[in-house]
Amino acid sequence: MKVIMQPIEMVARFNEEGIPRPVKFKARFEDIPVVIVIDKILLKSEEKLAGNPMLIFRCQSIIDGVLKVYELKYELHTCKWFLYKM
Amino acid sequence: MRKRIIFHIDVNSAYLSWEAVYRLQQGDSLDLRTVPSVVGGDPLTRHGIVLAKSIPAKKYNIKTGEGLYSALAKCPELIIVKPNYYLFRRCSEALGNILKEYSPLVQQFSVDEYFLDYTAMEKLLGDPIDTAYKIKDRIKSELGFTVNIGISTNKLLAKMASELQKPDKVHTLFPEEIPDKMWPLPVEELFMVGRATSRKLLARNIKTIGDLAHTDPRLLKAMLKSHGILIWNYAQGQENSPVHPGSRIEVKGMGNSTTIPFDVDNRREAYLVLLSLIETVSARLRNGGYLAQLVSVSLKTNEFLSYSHQRKLYQPTDCTNEIWEIACELFDEAWKGQPLRHLGVRVSELCHNDFYQPTFLGKDYAKERKVDRAIDEIRERFGAQAIVRSAYLHSGLRAITGGVIAEEEYPMMTSLL
Repeated sequence: MKVIMQPIEMVARFNEEGIPRPVKFKARFEDIPVVIVIDKILLKSEEKLAGNPMLIFRCQSIIDGVLKVYELKYELHTCKWFLYKM
Repeated sequence: MRKRIIFHIDVNSAYLSWEAVYRLQQGDSLDLRTVPSVVGGDPLTRHGIVLAKSIPAKKYNIKTGEGLYSALAKCPELIIVKPNYYLFRRCSEALGNILKEYSPLVQQFSVDEYFLDYTAMEKLLGDPIDTAYKIKDRIKSELGFTVNIGISTNKLLAKMASELQKPDKVHTLFPEEIPDKMWPLPVEELFMVGRATSRKLLARNIKTIGDLAHTDPRLLKAMLKSHGILIWNYAQGQENSPVHPGSRIEVKGMGNSTTIPFDVDNRREAYLVLLSLIETVSARLRNGGYLAQLVSVSLKTNEFLSYSHQRKLYQPTDCTNEIWEIACELFDEAWKGQPLRHLGVRVSELCHNDFYQPTFLGKDYAKERKVDRAIDEIRERFGAQAIVRSAYLHSGLRAITGGVIAEEEYPMMTSLL
């Protein structure tokens, strides 16, 4: 996986506890927008490097017939979603 | 009394490592700590000083506090990063939150330093040295930056211990280790021995902390007054202040100063610079609920000659215009017409503003204080630049100068343990 750290448009579901669950997102690859539906969340973790808390989701989806694993990040301070690694 | 155990936690090149970790988290591939880089000033205008440097920058003999211009002369490929005080405060808070899990007595000593009282905690958490290693490694893995931890029986020795060897280390400096670990160090390494004191000590052949500890305190008192006794005690490792939870210490004065990007050579511009400084100083006064009884102005000429002038007030004030008028009078008395590089304003002898005593003689500032209050509220709601004086239009000067995070408390350096 390569670090991309691209800000993305995200549809996510928040449960009653306020915990987000990413559903699908739109990222740009070579400036072409692509919508990716998240098939499965494999792992959720938290980091607070530099005192800046972020949630990290390791997810998988089938993109163009290929199973891909990637990581999404949610920055709590700014409520921004990022495609972190792919 | 049982022996106390105090930790001093010090972030290694704080501003720089915080910025580096933040950039890595944001997906930057370059770790600032591995290349010559500094935090400070403005990378575009190259105006400002070095606040923190990376270890590779140290090899170019770049010193904290020197101008960016001379730092760039030493290392042309130096990376300059603007300080982000919001980030620094957030990092500092995150560090404090981790430390509070290890003791109820945690004192923030400055933005990148904490004291922690571990006395009696070993019954709960085990050996202090093991815990210090645990804390250090946990901060490194969770927050991404490295710290030095000094362990001893009082705050002074703990602080001296954390300075011993950097980065990412745990040191002890118990009283029995003083002769080996602290006394061979040069005397200016001792807390509270600065440039002026070390010069006086060196002139009397006191070169190391050990020399100082073996000097007759009466001699030091004759030379340095009560400060001599203080540093003699420090050289012996004697200090017994408690760890105060929280970080607030009583404010004794407030000041603000700026180095101007060009030389000011006329009265009107100097007055405007003074006013822009007083805008922040007086807002801080009002915000803290204080009145000032003394105003002082300091100047530095283009030949780096500096002088200052101060005046006591008959009635305490927090009014921007009143302080400005006094500052302008002081400026007129002090200034001899040289081009100026640096201007500063300071208010002190603060008292609480529970009541305000106007004078029968002289000008009535009641209305102007109301205007100040209105301006403060507008700036609080809509930002500092929401309302500025028209005198600054097309002047090329900033209407409000100085301050790190004007609206909130930012932990600053202090010499009080």
